[in-house]
Amino acid sequence: MTGNLDAYLVLSGLLFSIGTFGFLARRNAIAMLMSVELMVNAVNLAIVAFGTFVPELKGQGTVIALFVMAVAAAEATVGLAIVIAIYRNRRTPLVDEYSSMRD
Amino acid sequence: MTGNEILALLPFVLVVGLAMAIVLVDIIAPHRDELVTVVGVTGLLVALAVTVIAGPLPSGVGALPAGGQQVLGGVYARDGLTAFLDLLFIVIALLSLLFAVDYLKPRALPMAEYSATLLFAISGAMLLAGGRDLLILFLGLELLVLPGYMLAGYAKRDGLSTEGAIKYFLLGSFSSAILLFGFALTLGFTGSTRIDGIAAKLAPIVAGQAPISIGLAMALALLTTGVAFKIAAVPFHYWTPDAYQGSPTPVTGYLSVGPKVAAFALILRLFVVALAPLKGDWLPVVVILAAVTMTLGNLVAVTQDNIKRMLGYSSIAHTGYMLVGLAAFAGAPVGSTAESQGLQAMLFYFVAYTFMNLGAFACVAALQRRPGVTSQIASFAGLGRRAPLLGLTMTLFLLSLTGIPPTAGFFAKAYVIIAAVQTGGWVGVLAVIMMLNAAAAAFYYLRIVVYMYMRDAPENARPLTIGAMTRAGLVVAATGTIVIGLLPPITNAVFDMARQAAQAVL
Repeated sequence: MTGNLDAYLVLSGLLFSIGTFGFLARRNAIAMLMSVELMVNAVNLAIVAFGTFVPELKGQGTVIALFVMAVAAAEATVGLAIVIAIYRNRRTPLVDEYSSMRD
Repeated sequence: MTGNEILALLPFVLVVGLAMAIVLVDIIAPHRDELVTVVGVTGLLVALAVTVIAGPLPSGVGALPAGGQQVLGGVYARDGLTAFLDLLFIVIALLSLLFAVDYLKPRALPMAEYSATLLFAISGAMLLAGGRDLLILFLGLELLVLPGYMLAGYAKRDGLSTEGAIKYFLLGSFSSAILLFGFALTLGFTGSTRIDGIAAKLAPIVAGQAPISIGLAMALALLTTGVAFKIAAVPFHYWTPDAYQGSPTPVTGYLSVGPKVAAFALILRLFVVALAPLKGDWLPVVVILAAVTMTLGNLVAVTQDNIKRMLGYSSIAHTGYMLVGLAAFAGAPVGSTAESQGLQAMLFYFVAYTFMNLGAFACVAALQRRPGVTSQIASFAGLGRRAPLLGLTMTLFLLSLTGIPPTAGFFAKAYVIIAAVQTGGWVGVLAVIMMLNAAAAAFYYLRIVVYMYMRDAPENARPLTIGAMTRAGLVVAATGTIVIGLLPPITNAVFDMARQAAQAVL
């Protein structure tokens, strides 16, 4: 990685914001899951950038990023399993229609 | 690794091993619910004994040094707080197992899947209790919440269960991402992943030698938001009522206690140790969160007719009470006794809350043993005469949740209020709000007691039988609720443990 840390952090913040917007704006459970993955990957970019540019974190950033990727994969697995389970019940991926418990 | 290091890791390793052993047992001998229960309960009792042997607990109990034992270069440590929280988590797992047996069987839900998933979640909670590194804390948190989502959607043919699970999952993973960004910014701008390293780097800011950077301010905001989601503080509580109502009742009981106490364990390591130098900056947020959380939780709980939803909102209110303890810590001057009293009160509250809240959900699960019994409060009509033991224990748990002496719930609330008054200022105002809230909460708790003893059971009500496991669990939870309140030696013993646990993070 070359350049300066701030540029990477701005990019990471931008990706994170896009993910947040996607999560709040989309109503499809799969799209919301993808938005969360985008947020996590944006954080990973920030972690790798910190690992490269902050002397105290030399070498640690990449290791932490690997752990985060593993966790994100596990999260996606559980999430997709739950989406499939509810799709079998409701025949729709739209979260607005999951409203049988409103008070 | 020295013997002490192995001993320090042993309780955590035992619980992970037990979870794997249950998976193995289910592969070798499928559908043997009794066998799984026996293996699970025995294993947890062994883990409980090992945790006590390892210590360090007050008055020299336990083999490890009182100052704590660091493991793996200091990323994990077993100190007073780890021992205290591990004991609590194992008790939570034990009670959650006992209460589930009789509920799952009539619904043909497999016990082995429930036990293994629950134990993996508890191992995550135990990792959070001893983690001293941001990466370990993040891994512990994910190990706690991922099995939690699976448990919520565990009755996968039931529409309500999967609906609760997807709401819990989406908001849970969203908040995990926010929290992770907070972790990343914290480690980037302090240059350390260790919680004491972060505290050391932040110290100059407090001394006024350096301004708080924008990156750190953002980190603080993201961490606060993420943690508020995890403990279900208002206004980040939207997932709670649906997840609690939809989940199978024993799972709801676990979700209302396990992940909440574990998220507070994260707060104790992250905010109370790593971000302690900035406590003046996060105190106002905690004060506002606490006031809003307990007030709104109680106000909405009053309007609920579904018992699981009502207890869900009540657990939100209890989150608010626990936050008052945290505010009492943050508002007190560094090194004062009020600082440690706030933490002690909060830790004591966890113990009382575990017994009374799990017990209350266990009574609901016992009532719903036969599939088809709804969660409407009307289901409780005439329960006092239909099942005297169940009526009596439910009354006890509800009185304790209200905070009526001499139950554990009363002392828990009293300690928190005393700590808040000692700290004074805006935290003192919180104490007043808390007292008003506790009085208002009596309305909806006692409403169930009225249903149980003053309404007649529906004419077609079938006889109610309580299973042996549920009975054993109810006896444990009820004994905990009474004894911690009524017997001063026990109250003091729990309080001493809380004191030593608080010392570990001060």
